[in-house]
Amino acid sequence: MDDLLLISFLIYIAGIVAILVLPKNMSAKIAGISGSVGSVALLSFALHSLFSKTIYTASLWMIPNIGYLSIRVDYLSAFFLIATAIVTLPASIFASTRVSYIKESNNSFLLVLFLSLIIFVILVLISSNIFLFLLVWEVMSILIYLLVNSGKSERAGYIMLAVGETGTLAIAIAFLLLATNAKTLSFEGLEASISSLSVGMQWSVFILSFLGFGIKGGLIPFNFWISRAYSVTPTAFIPFIAGATLNLGLYGIIRVNANFLPMSEVGFGVILLIVGSITALIGILYATIEDNFKTILAHSSIENAGIIITAFGASMIFLTSGHKVAASMALVASLYHLLNHSVFKTLLFMGAGVIEDESKTKSLDKLGGLLKRMPWTGFFVLIGVLSISAMPPFNGFVSEWLTLESLLRSVELASLGVKVSFIIAGVLLALTAGLTVTCFTRAFSMSFLGMARSKSIEKTKEVTKTTLAPMALLAIVAFLLGVLPTFVIPTIDRAVYPITSASATTALVPPFFNNQKVADKLPSGFVNDFHNIGAQVGKNTLYGRGVVVMHRGGKDNPVVFAMSTSYMLITFLILFGLTVGLVWLLVARKRTVVYKTRWDGGIKNLLPQMTYTASGFAQPVRVIFSTILRSNISNQKETASKHFRLSIKQERQEVHLIDRLVLYPLMNFAKKLSHLLAKMHSGKINTYASYAILTLLVFLGISFYM
Amino acid sequence: MSYWVKKGLKTGVVSTRYPKQEETASGITPGLPQITDNINSDDLISVCPTRAIHKTDEKLLLESSLCIHCYRCSRDTKEPLSWSEGFEWASFEKNSTPFSSTFGHSLHICVVDSGDCGACLNETKLLNSPLYNMHRLGFFITPSPRKADVLLVVGAVTQQMKGALLKAYEAMPTPKKVMAVGTCALSGGVFEGGFIAENGVSSILPVDITVPGCPPPPLAILHGLLSLAGRKNIKRGTK
Repeated sequence: MDDLLLISFLIYIAGIVAILVLPKNMSAKIAGISGSVGSVALLSFALHSLFSKTIYTASLWMIPNIGYLSIRVDYLSAFFLIATAIVTLPASIFASTRVSYIKESNNSFLLVLFLSLIIFVILVLISSNIFLFLLVWEVMSILIYLLVNSGKSERAGYIMLAVGETGTLAIAIAFLLLATNAKTLSFEGLEASISSLSVGMQWSVFILSFLGFGIKGGLIPFNFWISRAYSVTPTAFIPFIAGATLNLGLYGIIRVNANFLPMSEVGFGVILLIVGSITALIGILYATIEDNFKTILAHSSIENAGIIITAFGASMIFLTSGHKVAASMALVASLYHLLNHSVFKTLLFMGAGVIEDESKTKSLDKLGGLLKRMPWTGFFVLIGVLSISAMPPFNGFVSEWLTLESLLRSVELASLGVKVSFIIAGVLLALTAGLTVTCFTRAFSMSFLGMARSKSIEKTKEVTKTTLAPMALLAIVAFLLGVLPTFVIPTIDRAVYPITSASATTALVPPFFNNQKVADKLPSGFVNDFHNIGAQVGKNTLYGRGVVVMHRGGKDNPVVFAMSTSYMLITFLILFGLTVGLVWLLVARKRTVVYKTRWDGGIKNLLPQMTYTASGFAQPVRVIFSTILRSNISNQKETASKHFRLSIKQERQEVHLIDRLVLYPLMNFAKKLSHLLAKMHSGKINTYASYAILTLLVFLGISFYM
Repeated sequence: MSYWVKKGLKTGVVSTRYPKQEETASGITPGLPQITDNINSDDLISVCPTRAIHKTDEKLLLESSLCIHCYRCSRDTKEPLSWSEGFEWASFEKNSTPFSSTFGHSLHICVVDSGDCGACLNETKLLNSPLYNMHRLGFFITPSPRKADVLLVVGAVTQQMKGALLKAYEAMPTPKKVMAVGTCALSGGVFEGGFIAENGVSSILPVDITVPGCPPPPLAILHGLLSLAGRKNIKRGTK
């Protein structure tokens, strides 16, 4: 089975070669087939290595002075490979069908870049050598940049590249600090010498790596590139870039903190917790007021990265305070949400891209009424929207619920300060969850429901089945992840166990529904309490591994929280069926139904502008959070002969909080610096010569005294 | 702190007892001109601006659905007409019936102003005031015709409001009744035959009950509603 990794690489490379060799009109199909088949191989390899007892390692080749470039697929890597493969499979089919919409560049070249990006994303996840990691990370960043720009020259791409390179620099310094301590470049060596890190070193490595990986992962304060880059990326590639490459930053943060730093400083976790929750709130706040579906999704990616990091921070705090099971639970929640986010974000970006391409409209204010024209796209986007808004029975609900529940476990912690940070994070996440519903209700209803608000929509037609198939696949995955958490959690738990050295499965998925033997081992008080609430523990009435996801508080307090999305679904279906049946039996059968036009207040023509617009929907949020958003509203009046008003024009401008506080000050600082440097550039050759001589003298002087 | 509870108790009930008792307070109604048999003056015909007073078979008649309460017949003539008090003027149109007893207890009313001067609308609005308080009788105003049983139309259906009125009627669920309130809604009033308005609601919708008056006092409208609900027996099918 271990050969499957090699096979998947070979399939991708074969795809690249085939695109380069074979005629251009076949390149899209080749990319789709090689991308999806390779992902199937990758998925089976990743699942196999997650469940196998041995860790797959391989040394590629020896480089003098650096050592072996080695790769290693441990359980954490395997989990991330699963998430990547689940995204890559539909995303490559999608890319192959939509790539022809890019007019600015050579499509087959872009597909080559796309397949290479898949390879390098996998390499980032499995490389276990600092040199190899930084190398593939750098190549990966450049490939993303090329795909984001896709032949155009976009400012957003440059910003992304500039910020990304800064991040890479920070990561490189962090890794070099670790390497100087461990005196080796291999990850195994770093893990072995973890105990010899001084506290100062730990903090600098933490800060630098958090900053560097946080840029890729979309955490504050350097996430301003995400919304810019995602909104200009072509539809063909955005699902993969958003679904798979954002994870790499989070992978880096989890990898460094879990494996290369001793889990002894509680401050790391608190920083992650607070930064994560604030990121989540700011992300969703701007997602709620944005006007472009892709930008909304970009901001929402930031929000979800925030949730994932919050849960990871909670896990770290639990681990440093010795609550291993709680740490495992929080980490399971974090990784579960990461997987879910990859799935529904890829799905939604496919939908948003398709809407933008087909309707040729970017603004939500000009969309509307698409559901009649694109029913299947609408259906799949609806599933994505329900998942991301954390609605049962879809996947977002399970992971957000687990995240909030694991934050509630802070009652077990001793330190008051840490507890307060948990409370703050919990409150921010709860607010985020509420705003997410508002945001995606708006995004869906304004694009799919109501009246068409522009003429180009009337020509919009449903997309082809090959474009719908990836969306359908992701929608099914989102649904399955939502109703089968009791099978997903033990799988993720395997990736979590090496980090926290405790299993969360028994705490999250109680085993006593399995058979009588397990039930007999449980404390009798626990079983009695279940009898009191009407559940027959271990009586084989509920068969199968855990239809119930549950927190067990301990022997004294049996059930703290219980939730079952599988049963919830069944109950919903039964109740829905009963309601429909009853209504049909009692009422509907005997009535005749008359269809008349809707009551519109009696106006002559209902114009689309009169209906609820996207800006109107977001207005309450704008007003409530006006202190954060700080919109600049300017009024312009046009008058004739000073008194007669002809028109009033109101313009609103919003500068993103992060832009206001981070990006623009940085830009101003850089400008000032360059002005200062420009003074040196007087253009006289004599002055330059004197600078050179001065520098030489100074360095000579230093070298004499050293 | 306001003493509204105390004040309310002190004031007591001010609402009219109308359907149970006769309402005899002065000024409750503007009344209608009355033609008695001994009056037979052509002067009256020439003085009436809306031809409410007309002559059929050598006999003077008063068509109350045309009267606009201008009082010219009582001021500017040699034989001034006397005015009747009373307000129970509502009458069913031909082939129209009240609601069946199932729907008769409580009615939801959608008021459509199809271009009135404001007077009829004001009087209708007064039904909600403490003095008339139609809620005690189970009548409620609803903004949406979807939930309405009665379409109460005031005003001489202007061209602009014609579409809206038809739409509102279409939107109402059956059983539904149309109530025309005020002279304009009944016949077009002073706009009769003009280019701006239809000649009353009946020219575009099947009207069930009419309440004459310019404007009809609130109690007249209340009487119409009570008749529509089948809780007040009145004459029917006069036209």
